[in-house]
Amino acid sequence: MEEDEFFGEKTFQHDCAEFIKHSQQIGDGWEWRTSKEALELPLDDSEVTETATATEVIKYEYHVLYSCSYQVPVLYFRASFLDGRPLALKDVWEGVHECYRTRLLQGPWDTITQQEHPILGQPFFVLHPCKTNEFMTPVVKNSRKINRNVNYITSWLSIVGPAVGLNVPLSYARAASQDE
Amino acid sequence: MAEDPESSLQLPPSSAAEGEGPTEGSPETVTPEPPSSAAVSPGTEEPVGDTKKKIDILLKAVGDTPIMKTKKWAVERTRTIQGLIDFIKKFLKLVASEQLFIYVNQSFAPSPDQEVGTLYECFGSDGKLVLHYCKSQAWG
Repeated sequence: MEEDEFFGEKTFQHDCAEFIKHSQQIGDGWEWRTSKEALELPLDDSEVTETATATEVIKYEYHVLYSCSYQVPVLYFRASFLDGRPLALKDVWEGVHECYRTRLLQGPWDTITQQEHPILGQPFFVLHPCKTNEFMTPVVKNSRKINRNVNYITSWLSIVGPAVGLNVPLSYARAASQDE
Repeated sequence: MAEDPESSLQLPPSSAAEGEGPTEGSPETVTPEPPSSAAVSPGTEEPVGDTKKKIDILLKAVGDTPIMKTKKWAVERTRTIQGLIDFIKKFLKLVASEQLFIYVNQSFAPSPDQEVGTLYECFGSDGKLVLHYCKSQAWG
């Protein structure tokens, strides 16, 4: 990986592949999909999550895409009730973990926006990638200093995921440090 | 939980780093009182004979983040990452708009609800859990 290409598309693909390897081992449902048709297949039940607020079950769907303009991964997600009714942005906010709420609430338009999914063409919520480089740089720099490979996708998702209801199991941390 | 009023350090029997204890101990008695978060205390004050309810955590700063004067803490196993983040933010006097991230293995951010006891079981070594922390403006 070239130094000036901080997180290129090849690294994205490689790190995603490693991430999915572990996902398959623990069965938590991540898959690599490249075509529109493949993305429209019904998802299995591992995507279903319960919320504490109501007795209704809410289904969250998460997609990790690569942004060529920012050269970072981007998290797209949407939420719906089981009958298909989509959640509004304000309902999604309620799923945002307490420790992030203050910061995110100060300027929601800067952080979670609604955008068209580049492949599906459907509206998704997006966690804005403009600061990704800023919080990932210390992690990557640090790992280079101690000569250890870090799986960018694993690290990145562990940081941004909880803010939007996605908890990455701890076993990914061990898996990432074994990919050397 | 109640603070142990004993000023002499009692190292947990399983700790391999006995040499570190007394050195870390003396500065801590003059450190200004950390914010009232009773589950986190400096040093390793353990009542003799009890099952170890606290685990030792070593905090290391990453990047431009300020370094904490006290790096070694005895923390209750049930303390969550979120609780630890709040504690460090108050200790370092960060403003609410600044994010603080905590990492295990210097690369993975555990979920805010994760208990430090679990992390210690998975990633602890030499009787302690090393956590790196990093200040950042992640959003907006």
